[in-house]
Amino acid sequence: MILASGINNSIVVVVLASAVVYGTPLLYAALGELLTERSGVLNLGVEGMMLVGAVLGFWAVQKTGSLPAAFAVAALSGAALGLLQAFLVVTLRANQIVSGLALTIFAGAAGLSSYLGNDLNVADQPARHQFSAFLPHGWQTAPFVGPILFDQSALVYISWLLVIAVALYLSRTRPGLNLRAVGEAPDAADAMGINVSAYRYVHTVIGGAFAGVGGAVFTLWITPQWVDGITGGAGWIAIALVIFAFWRPVLCLVGAYFFGAFSGIPFTFQARGILTGIPPELFQSLPYVMTIVVLVVVSTAGVRRRLGAPAALGRPYAREER
Amino acid sequence: MIRIERRLEQPRWLDVAVPLGSILVAFVVMTVVLLATGHAPGHTFWRLLVTGFGSMFALNSTLVSATPLIFMGLCAAVAFRMQLFNIGGEGQLYMGAILGAAAGIAFGNASSFLSVTAMIGAGIVGGAAFALIPGFLRAYLNTNEIITSLMLNYVAALVIDYLIFDSLSYWRDTSTPSAKVFPQGKILPDAATWPVLHVGALELPFGLVLGVAVAVFVWVLYSRTRFGFEVHVIGDSPRAANYAGMRTRRKILAVMALSGAIAGLGGASQDGDFRHTLDPRGLTAAGYGYAGIVIAALARYNPFSVCLIAFLLGGLQNAGYALQGADFPSGLVGVLQGLILFCVLGGELLLRYRFTIDRRSRRVEAAA
Amino acid sequence: MAAAVELRNITKRFPGVVANDGVDFEAAEGEVHALLGENGAGKSTLSNILTGLYHPDDGQILLYGERRVFGSPRDALDAGIGMVHQHFRLVPPFTVAENVILGDERGEGKRFLVHPRHIERRVAELGERYRIAVDPRARVWQLSLGEQQRVEILKALYREARILILDEPTAVLTPQEAGSLFETLRVMAHEGRTVIFISHKLNEVAAVSDRVTVLRGGKTVATLATRDTTARSLASLMVGREVAEVERTPREEWLGDVILEVSDVSALGDRGSPALRGVSLTLRSGEILGIAGVAGNGQRELAEVVTGMRPPTQGTVTIDGKRLRPGDARAAIRAHISHVPEDRLHTGVAPSLSIASNSVLKAYRSSRFAWGPLLRLRAIRAHASQLIRHYDVRGGAPELPARRLSGGNLQKIVLGREFDGQPRVLVVASPTRGLDVAAIETVHTQLRKAGSGGVGVLLISEDLDEILALSDRIAVMYEGEIVAELDAGAATLDEIGLLMAGGKADAEPAP
Repeated sequence: MILASGINNSIVVVVLASAVVYGTPLLYAALGELLTERSGVLNLGVEGMMLVGAVLGFWAVQKTGSLPAAFAVAALSGAALGLLQAFLVVTLRANQIVSGLALTIFAGAAGLSSYLGNDLNVADQPARHQFSAFLPHGWQTAPFVGPILFDQSALVYISWLLVIAVALYLSRTRPGLNLRAVGEAPDAADAMGINVSAYRYVHTVIGGAFAGVGGAVFTLWITPQWVDGITGGAGWIAIALVIFAFWRPVLCLVGAYFFGAFSGIPFTFQARGILTGIPPELFQSLPYVMTIVVLVVVSTAGVRRRLGAPAALGRPYAREER
Repeated sequence: MIRIERRLEQPRWLDVAVPLGSILVAFVVMTVVLLATGHAPGHTFWRLLVTGFGSMFALNSTLVSATPLIFMGLCAAVAFRMQLFNIGGEGQLYMGAILGAAAGIAFGNASSFLSVTAMIGAGIVGGAAFALIPGFLRAYLNTNEIITSLMLNYVAALVIDYLIFDSLSYWRDTSTPSAKVFPQGKILPDAATWPVLHVGALELPFGLVLGVAVAVFVWVLYSRTRFGFEVHVIGDSPRAANYAGMRTRRKILAVMALSGAIAGLGGASQDGDFRHTLDPRGLTAAGYGYAGIVIAALARYNPFSVCLIAFLLGGLQNAGYALQGADFPSGLVGVLQGLILFCVLGGELLLRYRFTIDRRSRRVEAAA
Repeated sequence: MAAAVELRNITKRFPGVVANDGVDFEAAEGEVHALLGENGAGKSTLSNILTGLYHPDDGQILLYGERRVFGSPRDALDAGIGMVHQHFRLVPPFTVAENVILGDERGEGKRFLVHPRHIERRVAELGERYRIAVDPRARVWQLSLGEQQRVEILKALYREARILILDEPTAVLTPQEAGSLFETLRVMAHEGRTVIFISHKLNEVAAVSDRVTVLRGGKTVATLATRDTTARSLASLMVGREVAEVERTPREEWLGDVILEVSDVSALGDRGSPALRGVSLTLRSGEILGIAGVAGNGQRELAEVVTGMRPPTQGTVTIDGKRLRPGDARAAIRAHISHVPEDRLHTGVAPSLSIASNSVLKAYRSSRFAWGPLLRLRAIRAHASQLIRHYDVRGGAPELPARRLSGGNLQKIVLGREFDGQPRVLVVASPTRGLDVAAIETVHTQLRKAGSGGVGVLLISEDLDEILALSDRIAVMYEGEIVAELDAGAATLDEIGLLMAGGKADAEPAP
C-alpha cells in the first residue's frame, strides 16, 4: 500500500495524470475541429467557441445546479456559434480565415464571452457543482494507472467514448464516407448526389458543440471558476493538434495528452518546488513553443504529410462556377 | 429560388456602399443585442458617439487610441495582401515595445532627437525580428504562419510579463522600496518622450504622424513599385509567381519583416508617446493586434482606408474604455467589432456575387 | 427505336454568353449518339443540364416520353442517367470500390454501415463483364488516367444507368485504348442502353456512333445518321464554313545549330515519385519538336525542368552552350526561354490582376517598364494596349482582370507576351486546348512563324493531329522516358499511338 502510494506520488504519475486533465479540453475541441475540417471547412473560431461554452456552461450550473444541463448548454452555445460560422463560410462563401478570426474576436475575451460573463454576474464565484472523480476509491488508488486513468471525471470518459465514436463514424459508416468525400473532392461528391452544403453545415455545428464542451471543461472541472479568457489559447492549440494527428481521431487523443502534459508541468513543478530557479513564464510558454515545434516537424516531414489534409480544406464550393 | 451567380464587373459604388452598409447592419444587430440584455441602445450609442468624438478632448483622446490601431491595421494589411496571415502583430508589438523601452532607457542622457530615433529603430528591429520567426518557418519549412505567429503572441506576452513581474531586469524599476514590492517598469527619461504636434487645438502624437507616413509609404510601395507588383502576383497566384521567376521565399521574409516592423514601431510608440514605461498589463489588455486585423479586413487592405477606419474604431474603443463601469456593458467593443466584421464578410458576398430570384422555375412547375 | 432522351428548346445563359440557345436534341434506346461541336459550342453545358448540375433557363427535358425536372445531380442519377466527365469526378484517396458506391442510396446504400468486401466483389464482376477490369482495392490516385476512366464507367454501370453520357472520353487515351472503349460502348448500346458521346473529333464520331447531332454557337445545326456523313461535311457543319482538312504544311528546310540540349534529366513529380527518367533531347533553332504522349507521362515535368520551374534530381539543361541553373525560373527567363504553360489561367497569368499587369508578368524588371524600384505604369498600359491590338484580343481592356478573357483570347495574350521577350526557345504545352477553330488557326500560325524566325519550339501536346501538322520531328514520351524519336514526315498515327501506349515500333527510330 505504501509502495503504491509512493508510485502514485511520483513526478511521472502526477504529470501523466495532469496530462489527461489538461488534455481533455484540447481533445474535445480537436475532435470537433477534426470533423469540421474533414468536411472541408477550416474553423479558426474554436477559441471563441470554447470561451462562450465556458461562460455559458458555468452560468447554467450556477443557475440550475445541474451538471448535465450545464454540459448541454455549453454544447448548444458552441453549436450556435458553429451555425454562424457555417452560414458565413458555406452560404456566404466568406474567406474562411478572416471569418474564423472574426468569430474569435467576436466571441473571445474582450468580446461576447466577456460581455456575457460580466452581464450574467458569474465572475468571482466558485461553481455550485463540478465534475469530479466518481469511480470507486480502490480503483483511484491503484498503482500507476489509478491516478492517471481512474481518478478522472466523467468528462474524460465521455471524451474517450467520443474518440471511438468519431473513429468508427469516419471509417465504417456511409455518412462518414460521404463526409470524407465532401472534404477531399466536393465536386465528385456533388456529382454523386451528396449535399455538400448540408454536410459542411452539420459538421461545423457539431464541431462548435464539441468546442463549447471543451471550454466548459475548464469552468466545470479544471478551475472550476469563470475568468475572462480562461482557455488561454487552448482553441488554437487544438487546431494545431488536428494537423499533428493527421486528421485521425485516435492520434488526437495521443496529441491532446501530449500537449496537456506541457500545460500541467508548470503547476506540478512549482508545487513540488522543482527547478524553482527557472522563471514560471518559461514553463508556461512550453505548450505554445511545443505547438510550434510540432507543427514545424509535421510540415517539413515531406509531401506525404500534406496528403493527410482534406484536399478541399479551406476552399468554398460553388457548383455553377464556370 | 434564389441563385447566386458570379459577378462579371464590380460597380464602383458598391465599394463604398458595402462597407458602410455593413457597419449599419452591425449597429442594427447590436441594437437588438443591447435590447435583449436590458440596455438602452439609443442612449448607449449616443454616449459612445459623444465620448468618442464630441469634444476637442474626446477627439484628442481618440487620436491617442487611433495611433496604435493605425500601426496594427497596416501591419495586418501589409501581410494579408499577400495571403500571408500574420496574426502575430500583437506579439510583434510587444517586442517592439520591449526593445524600444530599452533604447529609451539606454539613451536617457542623450538628446531627445537621438533618443527618439533610437527608440524608433529599436522598435522596428524588435518587431521585424520577431516576425521573421514565423516568416522563416513559412518560407523555408512550409509551416502555417497563422498558428506559429499566434503561438508567439502568447510567448511574447509571457516574456513581457517576466521582464517586469518576475525578474529584476533592465526594464524594472528598482529605485524605490515600494517599487521593489509592487513591480513596475522604469519610467523612461524625459529625452525619450516623443513630441506632440499642435495643429490648432488638436494634439497629434508623433506616433500618429509616423503612422500616417508609414501608410503613405506602404501605398507607394504596393501600388507603384516592383516589390509591390510581386506581392500582388504572389498573393493572387503563387503558381504564376513561380512561373514568372519571382523569389517567393525571399518575398515572404521581406513582407513579414515589414509587417512586424510596423507593429514594432507601434510598440515603441506606445512607450514613447503614451505610457512612458514598459507596461505589460496595459499592452496585453488592449488587444491592439486583433483590432488591427479587423481594421485591415474592413479597409480591404488599403492603407488610407486603414487610417480612416482606425480613427473611427479608435473613437469607439476610446469611448468604450471611458464608459466602462457597472452601467455600461463590457466586452461591448469586441462584440461590436466582431459584428462589423461579420457584416463586412457578408457584404463581400454582394460584391463578388449577384443574387437573382428565379421566378421562371415556379412557372414551369405550374405548367407541368 | 423509341426516344430515350429528348431535350426540347433548351436555353442556358451565363454572364456574357448564351451557352445553349434553344437546343433540340433526341437520342434513342440502343444507339450510340454523338454530340459533335467545336470547343465552346455548348456541348458540356448541355450534358451538365442533363445530369442535373445546371438548371436550364428555358426548355424541357423528357426521359422515355415523360417530363422530368432535375433539381440536383441526385435526381438525374435516380432517373438512370450516368455521366463520365472530361475531368473525372473521383475522390483520389478513396479506393475504386469506395468511389463506385459513393452516394448510392439504393438497396445496399440504405445501410448505415459500409461493408467493403461485398462491394469489391460486385465491382470486380462488373469489370469483367464489360471488359473494363480494375482492382477494386486500388486507390484512385495510383491509377492511370485510362483506368480512372474505367472507374467512372463502372460507377454508371453499378447504378444501372440506362443513359450514359461520355464527355470527350478519348482525350486521355491512346488510340488503342480508345478503340477498346468504343467496343465497350457498342456492347452497352446492344443491351438497349443509350450512349451519348460528346466529342469534337470527327474520326471518333465516324468510328463509334449511329447518329450524330452537330452543335454550333449554342444551337443545333443538324442531326444525321453517321453513315450519311463525311468528315468534310461534318467539319463544315461544325464550323459553318468550308474547311480545308488539316494537313501538314511543308516547311522550308532551314535548321540552325543546336540551341537547347537536355541531357539525362531525371526529376520527381508532385507526389514525390519519379516523373522523368533520364530524358535527353536536342532542339535546333528554327525547329519544331513535338512531344507526343498521353497526359501524365512526364511532359509537364519536362516543360517545368526546361523552364526552370522544377529542379531536376540529375542531368542538365543547356541553352546556347551554357548550362542553365537548375530550378531557377528567372535564369531561364534571362536565357530567353519562353513558356506558354498548360494551365494558362492559373499558371500563365495571375487571374485577378489586370491584363496590363499580366502583360509584363516577366518583363517588369526590365528598364522598359521599371525605373529603378518604381514601375512605369503608363508604359505598361501602352504595352498591353499594343498586345491587344496586335493579336486582336477581344473582350479585353488593359485594366480589366485577366480572368475575364475567354480561353482563346487569354491564350493570345500569353503567347503575345512570350513572343515579345524575343525568345530563343519557346516551350508550349497544350497550346490549343479548349480553343475554337479560329483561335487554333491563329496559334498554329504564330508557332509556325516562330519556327521560321529561328526560334526553337518545343511543342507538347496530347492532340496528335496538331503534332503531326506542326512538327519537324516528334519525340514520344511514355512513363517519364523518351521512347522514340521520329521524323514527322514519315510517322503515322498508328505508330505513334502504339509508342504512346508503351509498345515498341517495328522500324528503327530516326536518329
